[in-house]
Amino acid sequence: MSNSKNTILSLRNVKKHFPIKEGVFQNVVGQVHAVDGVSFDIGAGETVGLVGESGCGKTTIGRCVSGLEPLTDGDIFFDLTPEKLVALEDFEKHQSEIKNKYLIDEIQSTSNISKIEGDDFYNYRRNCQMVFQDSFSSLSPRQLVSDIVSRPLKIHKVCADNELIPRTIELLEQVGLGKQHLYRFPHQFSGGQRQRISIARALALDPKLIVLDEPTSALDVSVQAQILNLLHDLQKQRGLSYLFITHNLSVIRHMADKIVVMYLGKVVEAGKTEDIFANPQHPYTKALLAASPDLSEDVMSDMAALDGPIPDPARPPQGCSFRTRCPVSRTECGWEVDDIIRRLEHHETLIDSIKSVHQPDAFNAKLTFETSLSAIELKDVVGTKDIPKQMRKAIKKIEVKGNDVNISFDPVQTVPLVQSENGSLSRCVLANK
Amino acid sequence: MKKNAQNAGIDEVNFYDSAFNVRLKRNLEILSNVLANPTTVLGLIIVILMLAMAIFAPVITEPNTPDPYQMPRDWKAARSAPLTPGHILGTTNRGGDVFYGVVWGARTSLKLSILVVSLTVVLGVIIGSVAGIVGGKVDEILMRIVDVFLSIPELIFALAIAAILGPSFTNIILALVIVFWVKYARIMRAQVIRIKQREYVDAAKIMGASKLQIYLKDILPNSFSPVMVQATLDMGNIVLVGATLSFIGLSEAGIAEWGVLVSEGQAGISAGRWWASTFPGLMVFLWALAFNLVGDGLRDVLDPRTETKR
Ligand SMILES: Nc1ncnc2c1ncn2[C@@H]1O[C@H](COP(=O)(O)OP(=O)(O)OP(=O)(O)O)[C@@H](O)[C@H]1O
Ligand code: SF4
Ligand SMILES: [Mg+2]
Repeated sequence: MSNSKNTILSLRNVKKHFPIKEGVFQNVVGQVHAVDGVSFDIGAGETVGLVGESGCGKTTIGRCVSGLEPLTDGDIFFDLTPEKLVALEDFEKHQSEIKNKYLIDEIQSTSNISKIEGDDFYNYRRNCQMVFQDSFSSLSPRQLVSDIVSRPLKIHKVCADNELIPRTIELLEQVGLGKQHLYRFPHQFSGGQRQRISIARALALDPKLIVLDEPTSALDVSVQAQILNLLHDLQKQRGLSYLFITHNLSVIRHMADKIVVMYLGKVVEAGKTEDIFANPQHPYTKALLAASPDLSEDVMSDMAALDGPIPDPARPPQGCSFRTRCPVSRTECGWEVDDIIRRLEHHETLIDSIKSVHQPDAFNAKLTFETSLSAIELKDVVGTKDIPKQMRKAIKKIEVKGNDVNISFDPVQTVPLVQSENGSLSRCVLANK
Repeated sequence: MKKNAQNAGIDEVNFYDSAFNVRLKRNLEILSNVLANPTTVLGLIIVILMLAMAIFAPVITEPNTPDPYQMPRDWKAARSAPLTPGHILGTTNRGGDVFYGVVWGARTSLKLSILVVSLTVVLGVIIGSVAGIVGGKVDEILMRIVDVFLSIPELIFALAIAAILGPSFTNIILALVIVFWVKYARIMRAQVIRIKQREYVDAAKIMGASKLQIYLKDILPNSFSPVMVQATLDMGNIVLVGATLSFIGLSEAGIAEWGVLVSEGQAGISAGRWWASTFPGLMVFLWALAFNLVGDGLRDVLDPRTETKR
């Protein structure tokens, strides 16, 4: 914990679920668990890197932080003093004994971005800006650079009208552009230059935090390095905090002080950049590192590259959500009935002969087949190599009754995030030992 | 600081000046792209001639009194052939001067198309924007209404409404507005839904722009070009449908309108008096053709979706 510095952003159990709608009447048939209980802090002047595969919820977090998406649950606090952070943590641990209720109330009404109003909200708007991945889509094709960069200044009436242009030029110069670029349209620039314009716009209000959503992914490698250096320099000059979203591990290593690794809407590992690169704890982090050739180190050579599909975020697996792809999964990783069904892909006739599935919860199910032969076949398949040993061991009961097969697993709680030996947090049963 | 402010003053002048120049240059570029297509240029020339005729109608022919939109009647010279002195394009059975009808008919057509197009554009843009921005049930309901309107053929629908409202030129305008707004609503809705997902809209939200500002500065300007293309096409189509309705007799008889004139001249065709219907008919055709040519040209330049076709 940084001692005397403010915590610019604190996410506490943030959830964002998107309803899945179907049919003419747009009935809600399910929820995409895009972000499912994420907590981390960003200190003043700090860069937190958010990594994970496509679809794990990185952009959604960025959009929640910048206030574009209302949260389904949880809180995001902006700019907390160390005392306030301690009070909040205290309050969360001992909900019942409310010692300093008035302080908590104050924190909620002045720092919780979903609750603040008036001047506080205005203040938060000024202090949290965002740079997007697609520099084409993030600059309006009908506005001149001068309009784009000066717009935040106008909205927040930061300066007098006649100072608008000098200020805009100053901003452009800070990102390595200049006066000569004022009166041009975005399409007249290269990708790297457009991203510089976006950065100038984000800087205009002199924010404390900038959310960078894959700001360099669309750029050539050489341009990428220039933009990263620019971001680095700006951070030094202005004491900015960054939430840096990317799937590129070498970029994150260069930029971030702390890393948060996400998988299927959850944090699976979080810690200091050096620690995570030197000694990754979670099998998913190891697999990610193994998959970036320029970073491979001896630690990771034993890890197989990631394969298999990412599970549907509308039905995230219970227990450890990574277990469907984890090369070192255990019996206690939280297997459930869906896992057996997922593994039946080579037995099409067996799947076709399933008549109905009665599933009171994720761990118990009654599968009804067309024939009792199929029911027996299922039990046999569970005994073969198609079902991994650890999963088979986790089955509590599998019994055939005529055309029905009853399967039950021991119910398992979500694997918690725990402190591992190198000081980082990891969500894996192996780290709990 | 003081020096800074002085500089600012200079830059200020510079600012609007250069911004204006850059925008002007951009628009000229677009114009030159439009003009690169010969058929568009042809359409544009006809459009300009038509507009000139409409605007200078009182100069070209002596306005009829008291109402210049009524055809003057010269009963003594009824049924004159073209090139008769004083009646260069001939006259109708009832002594209406065909040339007067052609010239003032352009003015009527211009009045009709501008009125209908501006009303339908405003109506369609508002309804389409509401549907696209509000979404949900409101969108669902509005779009079902649009679907119903679109399922009836334009001409038949306009005809039915005009017939119900009773024969008058104002009712034709009304009928055309009722029929033509739906296309704009649909175009605008699709555009708004497309544009509001753009990240520059998110960027504007993040910097604290109000909803109205975002609509006016980001969404509207970026979604307007297909509306403009459709409006240009409709400047032609509306006159075509309007003339058809007049031809059937749904506007007041005797006004200087091409459809009315064609209808008036119709009786004489079997007797060999081709001119009274042919000239105004030709005008309707040219008017619709010209605006369609220009509209297509505009679409090619403004609408990126058809860009690859060229
Ligand atoms: N507006 C939305 N409505 C419904 N589902 C959404 C919405 N936005 C995101 N999702 C879903 O939420 C999940 C997380 O998406 P998100 O864009 O945050 O992922 P990401 O980590 O940024 O991926 P990428 O690396 O591809 O950008 C995905 O399954 C996505 O389909
Ligand atoms: S808990 Fe750890 S070992 Fe088990 S599946 Fe998850 S990541 Fe793999
Ligand atoms: Mg993303």
